[in-house]
Amino acid sequence: MTLRKKTLLKVIILGDSGVGKTSLMQQFVNNKFLHQYKATIGADFLTKEITVDNKVVTLQIWDTAGQERFQSLGVAFYRGADCCVLCYDVTNEKSLNNLTSWKDEFLVQSNVANPQDFPFIIIGNKIDIEESRKIPSLSKKLNNITNQGFGGLNYPVFETSAKDSINVEAAFEVIAKMALQQEELNEVNGGDVSDDYNDAINIHLEGNGSGCAC
Amino acid sequence: MAPEDKTEGSGSGRPPTVGGAHTLAANYLLTPKSHQRTDSSYSRNYSLLDIYGTESPLEEGTALPERGLDASIMKELDRLDFHDTDNSLTLDEPEIASPITIAFDRKSQIQPISPDNIDGLLKSPYDRYGFKKASAHHSTTKEEYNEWFKEYSQYSLRRKKKWLLLMKSNGLGLDNDNAIPTRFPPKSDKVKKMIRRGIPAEWRGNAWFFYAGGNEKLNKHVGVYDRIVKDTAEVQNKDTEVIERDLNRTFPDNIYFNDMLGADPGSSSTTINTDSLPTAETGMIKCLRRVLVAFAHYQPQIGYCQSLNFLAGLLLLFMEEEKAFWMLVILTERIIPKVHSANLEGVHTDQGVLMLCVKEYIPQLWSILGKTFEGETLSEDKILTRLPPVTLVTSSWFMSLFVGILPIETALRVWDILWYEGSKTIFRISLTICKMCLDNPEFQKARGTSGGGAEMDQIELFQFMQNFPKIILDPNFLVDNCFKKIGGYGFGSLPQDEINNCREFVSKQRSKLNSKKTSSLATELTDEERKTLISSSGSSYNDEDGSIHDVYGFHRSIMSGVVWNKNMSNKMKKKFSKRLK
Repeated sequence: MTLRKKTLLKVIILGDSGVGKTSLMQQFVNNKFLHQYKATIGADFLTKEITVDNKVVTLQIWDTAGQERFQSLGVAFYRGADCCVLCYDVTNEKSLNNLTSWKDEFLVQSNVANPQDFPFIIIGNKIDIEESRKIPSLSKKLNNITNQGFGGLNYPVFETSAKDSINVEAAFEVIAKMALQQEELNEVNGGDVSDDYNDAINIHLEGNGSGCAC
Repeated sequence: MAPEDKTEGSGSGRPPTVGGAHTLAANYLLTPKSHQRTDSSYSRNYSLLDIYGTESPLEEGTALPERGLDASIMKELDRLDFHDTDNSLTLDEPEIASPITIAFDRKSQIQPISPDNIDGLLKSPYDRYGFKKASAHHSTTKEEYNEWFKEYSQYSLRRKKKWLLLMKSNGLGLDNDNAIPTRFPPKSDKVKKMIRRGIPAEWRGNAWFFYAGGNEKLNKHVGVYDRIVKDTAEVQNKDTEVIERDLNRTFPDNIYFNDMLGADPGSSSTTINTDSLPTAETGMIKCLRRVLVAFAHYQPQIGYCQSLNFLAGLLLLFMEEEKAFWMLVILTERIIPKVHSANLEGVHTDQGVLMLCVKEYIPQLWSILGKTFEGETLSEDKILTRLPPVTLVTSSWFMSLFVGILPIETALRVWDILWYEGSKTIFRISLTICKMCLDNPEFQKARGTSGGGAEMDQIELFQFMQNFPKIILDPNFLVDNCFKKIGGYGFGSLPQDEINNCREFVSKQRSKLNSKKTSSLATELTDEERKTLISSSGSSYNDEDGSIHDVYGFHRSIMSGVVWNKNMSNKMKKKFSKRLK
């Protein structure tokens, strides 16, 4: 049994290229906004310590490359995530429609124990941009995506502006709460047993006590 | 008749190299001790590695003084070498400070450094390439940059003189010192060494193009680029959509790519202000769009892959767009094939190779990163199919070829070497950076305080490796660590054919394991099957000590040359330790 030194919550931000993943992370962690971040290649993360429910936790926020082909590199760090943030750009309909595939991709790669209970959250970014450029009848379309009965993305939705720092803090507060719950749930259920469990390529090692003999 | 070194012995006003304002780490990097070494000691030190690390017949004479050169020129070179060690060099006081607008003058391409414009270059908030010296995208301040550049500009002047001599000795003498050559000396040991010490910035575009075989490529495809550009002018597809989003996200801190920067040239402060949207597209952005769209069209199996924007963008700062286009083609066809392809297969392959190298040559580092977050040691088959998390950092080194990863001058030096020596350069430099991270006291300290555990160690390492390259301001520091015969890490002798063999091996393993994965999905392999699988690829399975050595047999045979070296160095170590006793 490994001892957890401190509560580390792992959060993954996913979404199409250019929706503002890096900006959201930078705004939350460093309170800064640049008009142009460089395109993210591979992945990057920042940490921030915050207090949730009177408990000090460290949020480890992973920012990812948005282009589809980079998903093949994602395997390594999706694992062990406590919360996944699905991002879209309120001026880009395609990025909204892609949320479902991002979620599916995450579930496949992360190998979480109970996919239907895993905490996701949706963030629609760039609400500072003028109304006319936003997706027409956005709330209806968003509803369609979140309420398709079973399999729909029935998750909390936040509309943010990383630029003007609107709702970013609030969103991450909820993210932290959800992640903490998930983490505690994992503890109760015996930790990260899901890891490696049904990975076809994980060839069984003969009795050299590989890791998780919890 | 070499030009006189005007700055010689002109006084004591040299600024101290160690300023109290900087952190220890920064000083270490900005003013490396190795800087004081002469070129001749650099190139003529003798080492065991030399004998086995030869890459081409041309390099056999590595340890010997150059014979092919005219004796008087040799003398001249030696004389200049001497000046390399002369610490009393100082800056000439220029009569007129060059205008701050240096960086905006696109017509002149890269401005050569001359004693007259150094002061202007120091005053400007931008470097010679149009990048902001201080910006949010890297951690260097303008003061740090200038402190380094003061010294480096003198170094560049000395190197330029040597290049002029080298050209002359090869019958390629220039009409005047400011002419830009289009032809360069044939490959030789001497030229290789000159390139490792840096090509004059204003020659770079032509030199890269020349040594990469750009002329041959261009001559075979006369008019092709123009045609593609015409054909693709109206194209709109998935690729162009991503390209459009990336154009302004390529070099937002470069004056040629973001016209808003030019609007406030007075902001010489170290605080960051990139908080301005480009109002109008710069000419460079238009070039970048054309090149990327044409490339996506020409190489449909790649299309557009993020990070190509950085490569094309940097090329465009040094050459016209048609040439930049063909260089991009050469790069993706010959140097890093499949790295940018739709499934990034080349990234997986090269990261597999890199990880095998780390395991072999930097075992201490491997003991940190060759584990899952839960602390389980990664077996060899897992290295290749499920890469350690740190490869998310290193894969961007391969995809962007260190652009935006290393400070610009250091990245450019790597590019000098890369176009001349090929893809082994990327592995050599990557391994060198890895080792530099591991050896860095800050990293060791962070490890000590992180509370331990495999996961925390890896996280520290991940973060460290992500940020550390940004502070390697001085190219010589990196290059010395890589190539220096004595005092360097020795990765500079990792030969290309070893890399090629290992690439082939990894790629075969991956396709085997992947086909196994699909054929036996959800069924677990028996131990017997696993053994067969591994031994069928010419490797032996050794189950004595668990998983780490299970392909050791392969490893030894592929890396034989270097393994041999390692054995030799172990023998040497034993010898020395005996002596010490």
